[in-house]
Amino acid sequence: MSFENPKNPMRAYLLAAVTGLIVLASPASSRADEGHAAACPSTVDLPAELAGWNTREPLKAGKSADKLDNATLGIGTAVDAALLGTPDVKYASRPEKPGGSVSYGGLFAFTAQEAGRFRVALGSGAWIDVVRDGETVESVAHGHGPECSGVRKMVDFDLAPGTYTLQIAANGQPDLALLVTRLP
Amino acid sequence: MRRTGIALFALAALVLGTAASQHKTWSWDLPPGIAPPPVPGDNPMSKAKVELGHRLFYDADLSIDGTMSCATCHDQKRGFADGNRTRPGVHGDPGRRNVQGLGNVGYLAPLTWADSRLSTLEIQVAVPVFGDDPVEMGMKGKEAEIARRLSKDKCYRTMFRKAFPETGGSIDPPNVAKALAAFQRSMLSYNSPYDRAGRGEHGALSAEARRGKALFAANCASCHSGDNFSDGKFHTIPTGSPSSDAGLAHATGRAEDKGKFRTPGLRNASLTAPYFHDGSIASLEEAILRHASVVPAAGTLTASQRADLLALLDALTDRSFVSDPKFALPHEACGKPL
Repeated sequence: MSFENPKNPMRAYLLAAVTGLIVLASPASSRADEGHAAACPSTVDLPAELAGWNTREPLKAGKSADKLDNATLGIGTAVDAALLGTPDVKYASRPEKPGGSVSYGGLFAFTAQEAGRFRVALGSGAWIDVVRDGETVESVAHGHGPECSGVRKMVDFDLAPGTYTLQIAANGQPDLALLVTRLP
Repeated sequence: MRRTGIALFALAALVLGTAASQHKTWSWDLPPGIAPPPVPGDNPMSKAKVELGHRLFYDADLSIDGTMSCATCHDQKRGFADGNRTRPGVHGDPGRRNVQGLGNVGYLAPLTWADSRLSTLEIQVAVPVFGDDPVEMGMKGKEAEIARRLSKDKCYRTMFRKAFPETGGSIDPPNVAKALAAFQRSMLSYNSPYDRAGRGEHGALSAEARRGKALFAANCASCHSGDNFSDGKFHTIPTGSPSSDAGLAHATGRAEDKGKFRTPGLRNASLTAPYFHDGSIASLEEAILRHASVVPAAGTLTASQRADLLALLDALTDRSFVSDPKFALPHEACGKPL
């Protein structure tokens, strides 16, 4: 892969080695999908930013960006998201990988109170976009979570303060473990 | 009444004429001197068929859970390769081999890394869609489900009728395969600096790339031969990684084919990392060095010579191909947004 951090390649390499996260040179959203399997212990130590992953509350996805009052994610609070059939979702920005008619998706809102790097962690290989004012935010890194954690995919974004829409697309199941967290 | 009848007849003739012309006509967009790729007699090119194949290529309803389309692994900005070593299927089965790019794929045969049986794109479609060795898109035994999903869409019904009038627009796996093959055959990539230099464009190739071209001709072109830089033959090059992949022997069952893989084409190679059949080679420079076991010169090139060779390989990148909307995610069909 041609992934390198043009500002600090060594830091990027070390980060990748520790967390399985790859820093992107340019591509948009979400891809980190080589799959991994191992015999798993009963408990897995999670890094501080993923601490909320194992205590999840149910939350229904919204079907359009203007109806997300009841589909708002708290930063650092994981949810078991209930998704909608893809044909029922009206995306704010068409996903690059839209998912077929039999797949699932949905929309959530979240607010970055202050500027920083935010991580979207999810329990599947679904496609995600972070959208503001109809424009997708380019991701800065992607990867997978710790082995056996259930975090299959993580995508990082550098965000300015404000409210964003998180789009989930092309999920194979109607439910999805999901967390938006701020990185230290 | 008579005027109405004439008008209806004229309208019908217009509709039929349009459908017929869409079915029959296809104009290859090729530079002078480049022949079109071979086209099977039972799957002639048509605009309607290519448009249908374009839409199908990006439709994840060709996978069992709607999560994976052809474009999931064949990403335009990566020359329609993937970026991962291998890609797991819809059920998480590990991928067998690295995803190859698709520029000028219509000229290549046999297709994929190591299967001499895959002589056409029509045949190859079944590997990802219906294959179970490993499972990729997971539709084995679900042929009727593809027809059910696509038939629900009025626009698809129209597109199949236009593309396959000889079968009444039948929505079935053979026609899906034919449309996908036609679209892939249309994926022509002949606008790299290397190509433009070949057409006489002064300055298209840097001095480094011109030196690299000479090195390539002397050391690489016996296997990476022809317009698409592949002899279509199977060779053994150790990757340095332990591998359980039998290569061509997996398809043929012949011991002498063990570890053999088809020479990959090199168009857009700078975008299609990682390299080799198992994706174990991260960079083109490493790939060059890895050839030293079969091409001793590859191990003795100076750093400057390697840079020249890399400049030549970079000059095989067709930026217009990887940004051409003709091959990108379609945003409308039948005149309506998707």
